[in-house]
Amino acid sequence: MHDELVIYGEAYNSRVLIGTARYESPTHLVNAIRAADPALITVSLRRQVHENPISGESFWNILRYMGRPFLPNTAGCSTAKDAINTAMMAREVFATDLIKLEVIGDETNLQPDPFNLIEASEELVRRGFKVFPYCTDDLVLCKRLLDVGCEVLMPWAAPIGTGQGPRNPRALRELRERLPDVPLIVDAGLGLPSHACQVMEWGFDAVLINTAVSRSITPAVMAGAFADGVRAGRSGYLAGPMPVQELAVASTPEFGRPFSNEA
Amino acid sequence: VRETMAIIVNGKLQPLPAPATLEVLLHALRPSYPFAVALNNEFLPVASYELCLLSDGDSIEIVNPSAGG
Repeated sequence: MHDELVIYGEAYNSRVLIGTARYESPTHLVNAIRAADPALITVSLRRQVHENPISGESFWNILRYMGRPFLPNTAGCSTAKDAINTAMMAREVFATDLIKLEVIGDETNLQPDPFNLIEASEELVRRGFKVFPYCTDDLVLCKRLLDVGCEVLMPWAAPIGTGQGPRNPRALRELRERLPDVPLIVDAGLGLPSHACQVMEWGFDAVLINTAVSRSITPAVMAGAFADGVRAGRSGYLAGPMPVQELAVASTPEFGRPFSNEA
Repeated sequence: VRETMAIIVNGKLQPLPAPATLEVLLHALRPSYPFAVALNNEFLPVASYELCLLSDGDSIEIVNPSAGG
């Protein structure tokens, strides 16, 4: 079945986005990306640290070798101004208009700042960026982000790096129901392939994974498991799940049961 | 006597003969490719390096591709 993910007019065959952070080695990173077969890989900008093998020129060479489109982020920014300037630098370095916009409002749980997020999104859209805002599951925030020109949303499942899975399923499902035509990518907080499968069954369009893969014992295997989970969840959603029943309904026909009193 | 100035590069003090453009600084530092630059917290496009005259106390950020989630 032809089932592409379309974001900002660009079609992708995969519904997995994968981050490049917190891998133990470049080999783990490369193998995980291969196994995930992602639509996009997320990257960032940092001051050069010569001791880190997953940074600088060697990291750049790995990225180019993978041949996947980049989704740079503005991780660590807590003001709209910093996020905008980081996005501008990212566009120059990675030669893409795509930007995963992160503006953090609380350092403890790394929760997005809705006010600065909207301000930065509006300005970046004005400057020609295709903004992927990392946001909460707040419906009004999501609507405002759409109002200022975002064509995709990235609501969190749980705080970044926690692996808790969807903390507020009801809010996520309502978001999906209320915004049926907007590409929704669940970002942050997924820990298991079953979490990814679950949100895809709810009708989300894709997931972004990072720590769940990079901090697993075998990242490549976990990346493949997430990709399988995403495919299973998507297929289940498209297949149209049965309605949940309050009472048992026998699956085997009652009619013709041996030893019954039927004539 | 040639004047020197002190600018801050990625949070560290960097002496530099004055006057100097950003291009001169980058030539001296040779950051790995690709990189991007911000001057006093504002993005500076590559096309402006040659004409960007640095001043004492300027703060420069030079960033490279890095891992991110």
